Amino acid sequence: MAPKPQSPARLIALDGSRGTDITKSAERLAAELRERGITCVISRWDASGLFGELAQNDQRGTASARTLSLVYAADLAFRLRWEISAALKDGAVVIAAPYVETAIAFGTSRGLPEQWLRELLRFAPAADVQALACERKLERGWKPRLDRSYPEYCAALLAPSASRRLPKKLRADVIATLRSARGRRVYHLEGKGLAQAVKAVTGNQPASSSPPSSRPRTARK
Amino acid sequence: MARTASARTLKQLIAEREGTRGLLIAFEGPDGSGKTTQRKLLKTWLESEGREVVSTRWASSPLVQPLLKVRKKIRTLSTQEYSLLHAVDFRHRIETSILPALWAGKTVLADRYLFTALARDAARGLDLDWLLHAYTPLLWPDLVVYFSMTPEDSQRRIASTRVPHFYEAGQDVTGIDDPLASYGQFIDRVVTEYQNLAVIFKFVTVDSGDAVYRQHTRVRELVESAEKRPWPVYSKDAVEEWLRNPKAPRA
Repeated sequence: MAPKPQSPARLIALDGSRGTDITKSAERLAAELRERGITCVISRWDASGLFGELAQNDQRGTASARTLSLVYAADLAFRLRWEISAALKDGAVVIAAPYVETAIAFGTSRGLPEQWLRELLRFAPAADVQALACERKLERGWKPRLDRSYPEYCAALLAPSASRRLPKKLRADVIATLRSARGRRVYHLEGKGLAQAVKAVTGNQPASSSPPSSRPRTARK
Repeated sequence: MARTASARTLKQLIAEREGTRGLLIAFEGPDGSGKTTQRKLLKTWLESEGREVVSTRWASSPLVQPLLKVRKKIRTLSTQEYSLLHAVDFRHRIETSILPALWAGKTVLADRYLFTALARDAARGLDLDWLLHAYTPLLWPDLVVYFSMTPEDSQRRIASTRVPHFYEAGQDVTGIDDPLASYGQFIDRVVTEYQNLAVIFKFVTVDSGDAVYRQHTRVRELVESAEKRPWPVYSKDAVEEWLRNPKAPRA
């Protein structure tokens, strides 16, 4: 029996604008990696429970975009300590879904300086692989949901009570900011992007139970 | 104020409000230095003079206080989380209580301000530049009264009244089991940081070893002669950001 391939202890940052898309993309990527025998852990937003408790304390929605960015940083510090660093230490691949770019894209779309956000989150180590979730329903804005993702949570808290759906433009801005990353390779987890991201993590390690190719090798001349 | 208000309109609004806005006075110093006593005495005196006064305490924002309290009790906060949650508390109080009161012409007495976070978190080993950045944009107090005290006196006063809490004693960084022994070591670092900050940020020092009434007389003199640090020069970014927020409470 072949020895189980050793996990490469990599950090994958997976960002996006909608909780459902981030979760689905993270799970697909994790499944691909696990098929290759790699131990994979997903670190999700609000692992600290701060946002959940904060929503209970802030029924009137008094928190500003800057205040929420600081809470995001505190939550990320918690995730880094209890989930990300611990799993990396054990040699696992960690998918941080979301990581720093989601907070930066949302913050800048609400008028916060990018430099302030980057400096605030500078304690987070750079990811080995950077990926973007497969975004669906692009024509829609966010539904104000407190339990899905950071942007949707902020949409629920920051939107004036009259408009229950934040403008589509804001989500479009966040997606545009996420896609405008320069200087680094960013994998879009749709189509070939998923396979490329997997390859970036594993090298050329094949899936242990990959389906047979359509034309068996023995049939070749 | 509409979110779309131009930078020029905001600048003009801030400049116009400078004459009527309230004074922001911060009380700083080590634990046991008598800040709260002096803050209360000053509040009573100012109110007797017919001024409207609002007090604000450290870590008292209704948004953060409950979750901070629980996490402090079960001792789960890392240095960074501790620092960031205090930054959340501070920002929320600035936006929902301090700035609205100042805008309405009330005097605000802050029992601990930004400098508490800088001194304590720098003593915990965090980078001062990063800390200042987390608290940006800054709302500068018009007057910072620093109640000076030696680390030994602070330790003695605290020991005579209560056992310091886990984070107050700095046990998360000293690793010492005995809270008082840990406090002694930690407060030494905090006072050193305070002394550095006092020079950089030009605190006005009051000797906390003086009699209470003497300290109060001195504080009164300082407040009577205090001049405003002009918002357009010192705190423009913080006030403008607050004015741009359509949900910010304003008189």
